[in-house]
Amino acid sequence: MSAKSDDAKFELTLKRYKQERDWFKMLLDTVELLPGEENRLQEKLLHILLASKESVLDCAEHGKPFVAGYFCNAPQIFHAMDLTWYMLMETPFLAASAPFLLEDLEGAEAIGLGTDTCTAIRLPIYYIETGQMPIPTACIGLIYPCDGAPMLHQVMMHNKGWKDVPVYAADPPYTTDDRALDYFADELKRMVEFLEKHTKQTIDMKKLKEVCEEDNKVFGLWQEYNELRRAKPCPHGWGIGGAQAFAISQCFVSGDKKCTEWFQQLVKCAEENVKAGKGPEGIKEKIRYLWFDILPYGWVFEVMPWMEEEWGAVLTMDMFGNYPYTLIDTSTEDTIFRSLAKRNLIDAPMIRQARGTDENFATDIRRIVKDYDIDVVIWPGHMGHKDGAASIGIMRETCRELNVPFLHIGLDLFDRRYTTPEQVKDRISTFFSSMGLG
Amino acid sequence: METNLKSKVMDEFQEITSTLINPYLKEWKDNGGKIIGYFCTHVPDELITAAGMLPFRMRATGSTGTELSDAYFITINCSFPRHLFNLAMHGEFKILDGLIVPNSCDHVRRIYDNWIRQVDSPAFVRMWNLTKQTTEHAVEWYRDEILLKKSDLEENFGVKITLDDLRNAIKIHNETRRLLRQLYDLRKADNPPITGEQALAAVVASTAIPRERYNKMLRELLEELKSAEGIKDYKFRLMIAGGILDDPEYMNIIEDHGGLVVTDYLCFGTRLFLVDIDEEGDPIEAIARYQVQQRPTCPRTYGDQPRRAQFMRDLIRDFRVDGVIGERLLFCDSWLMEHYMAKQDLKELGVPFIQLDREYVLGGKGQLRTRIQAFLEMIGG
Repeated sequence: MSAKSDDAKFELTLKRYKQERDWFKMLLDTVELLPGEENRLQEKLLHILLASKESVLDCAEHGKPFVAGYFCNAPQIFHAMDLTWYMLMETPFLAASAPFLLEDLEGAEAIGLGTDTCTAIRLPIYYIETGQMPIPTACIGLIYPCDGAPMLHQVMMHNKGWKDVPVYAADPPYTTDDRALDYFADELKRMVEFLEKHTKQTIDMKKLKEVCEEDNKVFGLWQEYNELRRAKPCPHGWGIGGAQAFAISQCFVSGDKKCTEWFQQLVKCAEENVKAGKGPEGIKEKIRYLWFDILPYGWVFEVMPWMEEEWGAVLTMDMFGNYPYTLIDTSTEDTIFRSLAKRNLIDAPMIRQARGTDENFATDIRRIVKDYDIDVVIWPGHMGHKDGAASIGIMRETCRELNVPFLHIGLDLFDRRYTTPEQVKDRISTFFSSMGLG
Repeated sequence: METNLKSKVMDEFQEITSTLINPYLKEWKDNGGKIIGYFCTHVPDELITAAGMLPFRMRATGSTGTELSDAYFITINCSFPRHLFNLAMHGEFKILDGLIVPNSCDHVRRIYDNWIRQVDSPAFVRMWNLTKQTTEHAVEWYRDEILLKKSDLEENFGVKITLDDLRNAIKIHNETRRLLRQLYDLRKADNPPITGEQALAAVVASTAIPRERYNKMLRELLEELKSAEGIKDYKFRLMIAGGILDDPEYMNIIEDHGGLVVTDYLCFGTRLFLVDIDEEGDPIEAIARYQVQQRPTCPRTYGDQPRRAQFMRDLIRDFRVDGVIGERLLFCDSWLMEHYMAKQDLKELGVPFIQLDREYVLGGKGQLRTRIQAFLEMIGG
């Protein structure tokens, strides 16, 4: 293999990542021109996101250690170890509106990844298999909450280009009892040993304690923010709230002062709206809905604003915004790891619903509907969420008990071709009309 | 594919496999015995045998529709739980005294959640809680799980499960494994005495009748096969790999076109019996180690793909396989990706591979035939 060919291969591993960065830069340029406090929050988030991307690129290009991981791999630990990291599923989760997404989905199908596995799983596999994913110093895999996640990492380990990347995955028990928490806390401790071994970065327990304490401030603020969203009208709509709170606190700057400051600004912004009796700009709230999943990032701009404008339907709560976190007990090293185990095995969105038995589908709906005075529950029915699909009866019956309408659509949150935005709008309009909503 | 085998035992195995609730289950029940249903290969049926009960591997044999279960499992769910839950809602599993559901996959694990809400019987329905790796910690977790479920069975059914009971159950189940390996060894011959269709029926039957009775029948079959005429009219030796496949007719369609299925990597197949459970030492530890580290795993076990690939390579070599069919139930993420990797591995080995998606209840037979024909033509060059 010539040096030139090696260089080309290396460049390819960063190509999409750089394109994503540029995509976000373009979004930032646009947001900077827009007025309003909500856009200042978006602006700050984009700056933080871009700094994270630049840091990953800097590490990759200069041979510094960096890690691939996930939002539910206790990112507080990465932060306490001063580790730069990125999420293997970053493209579907964060950059699904980028212009190359459909091209890559077709590429995934062409190499034999089928069409019925979750798009968020197929895309990273495609990038790995075609040499378009930054190759980290070490990888912290995620093997829950669904069947697709362990397969993503097994394909990754099978890939010849990644054969030298050491991988660790915390093994998830299925229960949510003390036995499970003790087991998972030990798995997280082993994750730290693994990271220390392969990145040569060491953990400073004093710093981890500080990070967790800062993180507790964030989650206190998040709880405060969620309380504010109970107001009528809801102070914010789909455009700001859970998705951004999740991204900043779990994907970019966990337990960092920048994160706390962002949340303080978020709370302030919501408070002002509540005091003024205001909702999302220019929207008269008629329907309060729970979107019980990730937002449809692949075509989010085509449906979510339309729901507000056409129907006065305000996203009052969503799966990723509803984060019933418990705070981290920082008394001892053991209590920290046990709290992190709970956070990452039981509390984290999507993990919370999908990993274990499905009581959280019912209890979360029940609690959110009551707390937020929800008029309609929308289960988008993402094609990758097979366990959720098999919980549909439980969700429907829960809503029936609560006397709140339940809509199941059936779509791909990332791929607009599965159910087109127009079809989604049609389903929503038909349902709202027949239920007498709005 | 035609065989000249005349065997009452094989006829009976085929009858058991084509029926959901067979006469042996009814007889067991009439004699006051208890039956525990379980899913997949992750639940240690030895524990149920040790409790003096009959372990019955759950299937949806005979299902023709999903009209009741459609409200609980939708079209992006695997058709196996959809059909099975439909039968459950029709009361077809009333014979069961208990049910154990492992978190083996996203589809099967939700049977537990829906069953406890929608189906009245049996009252004893439990999850078998699995982790996903092959570490010592995972062995320890599984060991604790056995202890917890042992107490649960004892408390709920008024039985006592001693270590000797467990050792004895392991011996009985290992005997099944040894006999099935003997049966499969016969298929290594140039002219195997049984078809893939018959072999599948023999394996499925092992999970549906009292185990000691089954072992006796299988010994009789092995005796009969000593003098059986081998199959000659086939062109290629095939292997089938995949998840739950309990319908011998699927094999029949493949074998109708000149490919003889000589081995498999299936959960109603070699994954049940390639390895024995250690009969020395602590039986609970032995079962846990067998389940987590020793037996051939399915793709849900993270990090074990290289060992699975090795099992497959060994089978391909030992049974002199010409081509591999990767069967997959639609919407199964695990087997889609496992076959994706197998295809690459087998290409390096020079072994043709095809992936065939299917529904649990056999349909689209014409399409299946066409794809098999094309695959066999490809093998034939």
